[in-house]
Amino acid sequence: MLRRAVLKLALGTAGSIGAAAHGAGLRTEARIRIGLTSVILADQIAFLSRWGQYLSLKTGCRVSFIARDSYQGILDLIFGGQLEAAWICGYPYVLHQSRLELLPMPLYEGKPLYQSYLIRPKGDADGVRGWADLKGRVLAYSDPLSNSGWLVPQAQLRAAGVAPRDLRRGFFTHGHRNVAEAVAARLAQAGCIDGYVWETMRRQKMAAVEQTEVIWKSAQYAFPPLVARDGVAADIIESLRTALVNMQGDAEGRTLLDALNLDGFRQESPKLFDAIAALAAAQDRAS
Amino acid sequence: MQIPLGLAVAVVLSALLVSAVAAQISARSARLEIVATVKQAMVLLAAQARPLLVADDTWRTYTLLRNTAALLPGADLAQTRAAILDADGRFVAGSDPARLATGQPALGRTINGKKLPAPADVRSQTSVEGSDGGVSMIDPIQSEDGQVLGFVYVDVDGPVFKPDWAAVATPALIGALLAAVVLVPAGWWVGEHMARPVARIANCIARIGRTDAALLKAELPVETDPELNRISEAVHRLLSEMEVRQAAEQRALSAERLAAVGRITAAVAHEINNPLAGLLTAAQTLRLHGGSEHTRLRSVDLIDRGLRQIQTMTAALLPQARIEDRPLEPGDLEDVLTLVQPEAIRLQVRLHSDLEVTSAFRAPSAMVRQVMLNLLLNAIKAAGDGGAVHISLSGNEHRIHLAVRNTGAKLTPVMLEARIATERTNDPDGFGLWICREIAVRFGGEFDLADSSTSATELQFWIPNHDAHEQVAVAG
Repeated sequence: MLRRAVLKLALGTAGSIGAAAHGAGLRTEARIRIGLTSVILADQIAFLSRWGQYLSLKTGCRVSFIARDSYQGILDLIFGGQLEAAWICGYPYVLHQSRLELLPMPLYEGKPLYQSYLIRPKGDADGVRGWADLKGRVLAYSDPLSNSGWLVPQAQLRAAGVAPRDLRRGFFTHGHRNVAEAVAARLAQAGCIDGYVWETMRRQKMAAVEQTEVIWKSAQYAFPPLVARDGVAADIIESLRTALVNMQGDAEGRTLLDALNLDGFRQESPKLFDAIAALAAAQDRAS
Repeated sequence: MQIPLGLAVAVVLSALLVSAVAAQISARSARLEIVATVKQAMVLLAAQARPLLVADDTWRTYTLLRNTAALLPGADLAQTRAAILDADGRFVAGSDPARLATGQPALGRTINGKKLPAPADVRSQTSVEGSDGGVSMIDPIQSEDGQVLGFVYVDVDGPVFKPDWAAVATPALIGALLAAVVLVPAGWWVGEHMARPVARIANCIARIGRTDAALLKAELPVETDPELNRISEAVHRLLSEMEVRQAAEQRALSAERLAAVGRITAAVAHEINNPLAGLLTAAQTLRLHGGSEHTRLRSVDLIDRGLRQIQTMTAALLPQARIEDRPLEPGDLEDVLTLVQPEAIRLQVRLHSDLEVTSAFRAPSAMVRQVMLNLLLNAIKAAGDGGAVHISLSGNEHRIHLAVRNTGAKLTPVMLEARIATERTNDPDGFGLWICREIAVRFGGEFDLADSSTSATELQFWIPNHDAHEQVAVAG
């Protein structure tokens, strides 16, 4: 009887020690699936695998990256509970702000901001010079939910008095890199591309970008954010947040950031996205 | 040499001709192959492009074309391009967007020098030929229920169809080279194997009459080829018959020798018999009157002379009857003269001789003695009553020379040949001159009448001054 009680106590202690140990060490059950599109890096599987391993170590969770070729695809996954986080664009964020939590923002050239570029084939003598020249021309966009790749251009076209039917043709290339390629191949006479992507491609001396030139740059907008789904455990989100912010603090983190052409991550206020929200509202009214 | 060279030329020419024909055929089929490949690519493009046309996906249509157009013949030289057209015949995207611009009308317009039909006129696969030999091909892309969604368009420039002569020529030349390298030595080997036995047979035939038949028979090759074998066998039979003839000649020579011996034996027997009577008489005288010294001396003298005469005669006869393998000596002339002396005395013919030797005789004695004997007997017979015969024997390091001159009826060359011919047909009375001719030819010499302006007949005989073994080699 006493023996039974002692045994129970012993087992109970063992159990709680086990639970504590489980809690303090690698939480093998917890995982963070991060969705992303080819805004930047969907093709670079080796890099994503390294980044995933780094974040797994820092967060204590199993971190993996899931790639899709459209923002809508990512949104479908995250709202379907198949992703914990995603790296999306400002436009889909402002559209679903209530259901998404803002994670630390990428810092590009020290700031959480970027621009939209309008590009044309290099050395195109009688080519497009501005938004007004796009009448009767073919224009390449990146993604229907891209701020730089669609939303900003729509505003500019309206401002220039070019209606969508005035274009000879407008099409989506499903990725900023593809916009550069389409313009370089002269499939389109102009393209709307994420400035960060264009600059990073140029830094890497990619052939498609070297055959294009920028003819217009937009104002600065909030950089494409990392977001977490409402409903993910707070401690998991916290661990990811910390890991991202601390990346610039260690050598491997800096190597990874350098590959991304970024300086680090910093938590910002959602107010940063007000400009994009305004564009979205204007687009909503126009269509 | 000629067979292999001719063969090499034939081989190389054949290889080149075959290659030229193959190149022509290849050029003709190349166009059909290219068109077939393009059609296959168009089928692929149509299938892949259908959903993209439905989704109006310009970018993915472009990437499809960019990847697939690389498979088309001539793509590497930018002489081929492909595009997808929408239902109105405008470019959706092209593999070369600069030339085939998105949104530009295509059907019903002239693109790259070819007038394309209007969209409504393209109901099935259509080809438009260009003036440069190029072609544009258009194929409608239809939904499952037959609605035209768009078109596949492929444009091939003329130069793509031109045959790559360098590419065709290279294997042709390699083939010709290989053929030459392999077939020429093979042909050479075959030629040699054909030519060599023929040459050997020809060589044997050329030496018939000059070389021992048995030796030639040994040299004849045995052939597996039936044609060559027939020739070889015919020559073999000929040589066998020659062997028989040569054996017969040998027997004839021996027979003649014996016949000659027989002819003179009678005379010699007579010569031996002549002194025998005197010897017996002298012996009787000695018995009866031996007391008288004068009579005794005279009788012994007579006996001595008579015996010596017999001795000389038999000594002269012995070598003639015996087959001796020794070289000729000056003494042989003396012997022969002794042998014919009785005949000369009987016919009252004067005999003269001279001998001139500047180097050792090496010819076999038997042959030359035979000839000397025969010539002298014939000359004595021809000179007739009160005639004269002269024999001269001379020899230097190269030749042994015999000349026998006689007075009497002149022997003309025609008569000589007729005489020899007659003797050949087994005339036991003659044989003499034919044997001289045979021996001369056999040993590589000559036997003929000398050109003489005088009324005398002069027969000349010479043979090389070599011993018996060398004789055959020289004649061969």
